[in-house]
Amino acid sequence: MIITDNLTKKYGDQTVLDHLNLHVKEGEIYCLLGANGAGKTTTINLLLGFIEPTSGSAFINQLNVQENPRTTKLFLAYIPENLMLYPSLTAVENLDYFSGIGGKRLSDSDLKGFLGEAGLQPEAFDKRISTFSKGMRQKVGIAIALAKDAKVLLLDEPTSGLDPKASNEFGLLLQKLRAKGVATLMATHDLFRAKDVATHIGIMKDGRLKQQFKADDISLSELENSYLNTMGYKELAI
Amino acid sequence: MLTYNFRYELKLLLRSRWIQLLSLMLLVLFGFSAFNGQQKVEKRRSDIAEAHLEMRENDAMMLMLLDSVEHGLEVSVPYWTIPSSPMALGNYYPRVAAMEPQPMAFLSTGQADLFTHYVKPTVSGDDFALNFTEMTSPVQLLFGSFDLAFVIVYLLPLLIIAFSYNVLSAERENGSIRLLAAQPITIQEWVMQKLGLRFFWMALLVTVTLILAFLLIGMDIVAQATSFLSFLALVLAYMLFWFALAFLINLQAGSSAKNAVALLGLWVVFVLFVPSVVNQLGNTFYPMPSRTLMINEMRSLKEEVAKKQDEILDNFLRDHPEYALNDTTQSRGFYHRYMASQRLIREELSPAVNAYEEQLQKQQDWIGRFKWISPAILAQESLNEMAGTSTENYEDFRKQVIAFAETWRGHLTPFLYNNRDFSQKDYPNLPKFIYQKSQASTWSGLAIILVLSGLVYLIGIFIYKRQKERNILTTF
Repeated sequence: MIITDNLTKKYGDQTVLDHLNLHVKEGEIYCLLGANGAGKTTTINLLLGFIEPTSGSAFINQLNVQENPRTTKLFLAYIPENLMLYPSLTAVENLDYFSGIGGKRLSDSDLKGFLGEAGLQPEAFDKRISTFSKGMRQKVGIAIALAKDAKVLLLDEPTSGLDPKASNEFGLLLQKLRAKGVATLMATHDLFRAKDVATHIGIMKDGRLKQQFKADDISLSELENSYLNTMGYKELAI
Repeated sequence: MLTYNFRYELKLLLRSRWIQLLSLMLLVLFGFSAFNGQQKVEKRRSDIAEAHLEMRENDAMMLMLLDSVEHGLEVSVPYWTIPSSPMALGNYYPRVAAMEPQPMAFLSTGQADLFTHYVKPTVSGDDFALNFTEMTSPVQLLFGSFDLAFVIVYLLPLLIIAFSYNVLSAERENGSIRLLAAQPITIQEWVMQKLGLRFFWMALLVTVTLILAFLLIGMDIVAQATSFLSFLALVLAYMLFWFALAFLINLQAGSSAKNAVALLGLWVVFVLFVPSVVNQLGNTFYPMPSRTLMINEMRSLKEEVAKKQDEILDNFLRDHPEYALNDTTQSRGFYHRYMASQRLIREELSPAVNAYEEQLQKQQDWIGRFKWISPAILAQESLNEMAGTSTENYEDFRKQVIAFAETWRGHLTPFLYNNRDFSQKDYPNLPKFIYQKSQASTWSGLAIILVLSGLVYLIGIFIYKRQKERNILTTF
């Protein structure tokens, strides 16, 4: 579903992504961990086609992103760190708008169904987004992915700034999507959430993928030690 | 996708109160300016009607006097004003040569503030050939007239700028651009649709508010359907140009503040700077001869010819033997000499008058050559033309009046040299002035504005393709 083949991005002499090889299959959640500037967001930008790679290729649903920028977007949903919707539109209207420009025509009951599935309380459906918390906005983002019937979900720090309850709810939603066969790539700093939701975890530093694990093969403390060691904070590792 | 943008753009505009605010502003601006223009037209119409009324009253008096004279009765007016004398009639009972306002005159004051709308050419006067201006308030000249043309050419672009400067930058600044860009639509398409829809809604508001404003001032839109539609087409084309500029600037990935400054800068260039520079250069390259010098020249020429009027009259009669042959009395008085000398003065002055007219023509040609640089000039000129208040319209009126004055003089001169009295039966044959408006087309202005809009749009696409989408999506 998501493949990067020696994906490289350079700005002048600076290499921000160095020969990244990733493979996220159907029903997998791949968490990319790393400090700021590690190359996580660059990877997502390349998969979204927002920037062009210096070399290598990115594939979504077996289609080259650079060659098929519009078609690949039909299969993917994206939730940025701060999901900003139209504040003067309601949750239903925002969902209708983004589904509509994504090519899906949905009835009012379908729209409300997706919002409910994403965990939004029914009383919030017809409220304007300007009154929503970040957690509620993220749920609308998940509803957009559900409504779009996305095969691929790209998440850039989606739980940053969420309270533990909202973060937990978000994790549960990701599991729901996983059960539907969605391939998810999530960039995050949150080791705990990564361990909680991921099927696979990768640690990036300076644009390189330094380590990869199956989430089930590693404990949280091992993950933390591995992360700190990779980042060069050996003195902090237990 | 267009249907979703269409539906939600309207919702967003309504909820942000843009539609309501725009409707109100447009209605107030169009209503007030149309009313203002209509007031000026009414004043002009009533001035002309008053002049015609005065002429009719004078004519009634003239016919009574002629009747008395023809019946050998004494009349109680100075002898030099008795209308049986063709020169008295030609000087004291002139016709009104009026430029009636056109049906759409309220659109634009144009040159109407500067030039007179009616004159009364006499047989001996010739100042009208040179002096066609009215006394005008300098304050009004400084600030211009608050008419529809002013609102459309100057203020409407500012409303469009306020309505469109941040279509893309607002999405970037509130963070929704990345979510939008993750949908199967390009940013260029999205901006175009968004601006296209804003153009559509604004065009609708402009059309509705213009119709309301026109109805308020009592214009019969159905009767003037063709004029109204060509006016509307011009306004919409002019709006399209400003939306095309907004498209170009929006795609440059600047902040909202930067976009606003850039668009206001372009407003200054196209609306203020270019028209001013084109006019200034026209004045510099083709300066108009001084009217004062020309009037002084005319006065000294008159003094000179007055000294040798007998000689001039002899020469004149040699050139026009028909006058000498038809008159058995052969008596010659003041007016015989005066009219002969006037002809000489006109001939002597014609190089100066021609130089003035040629220079004016050169100035207009110069402006005509460069007016396509600024849609504001094109729109203003087209509106003046529709209103019948353009420089060309007044120049045309001046020429028609000069021609009429010649006809007036030519009609009465034979009476003078044949020493024939003017009588009641000659009255119906007096020449009448009817102003003929030249039929200049306003479609060329509209076509050029459309071409310029297309050009700006293509430049926007070209620059956008060069800078690539990434700058827009990764800057924030």
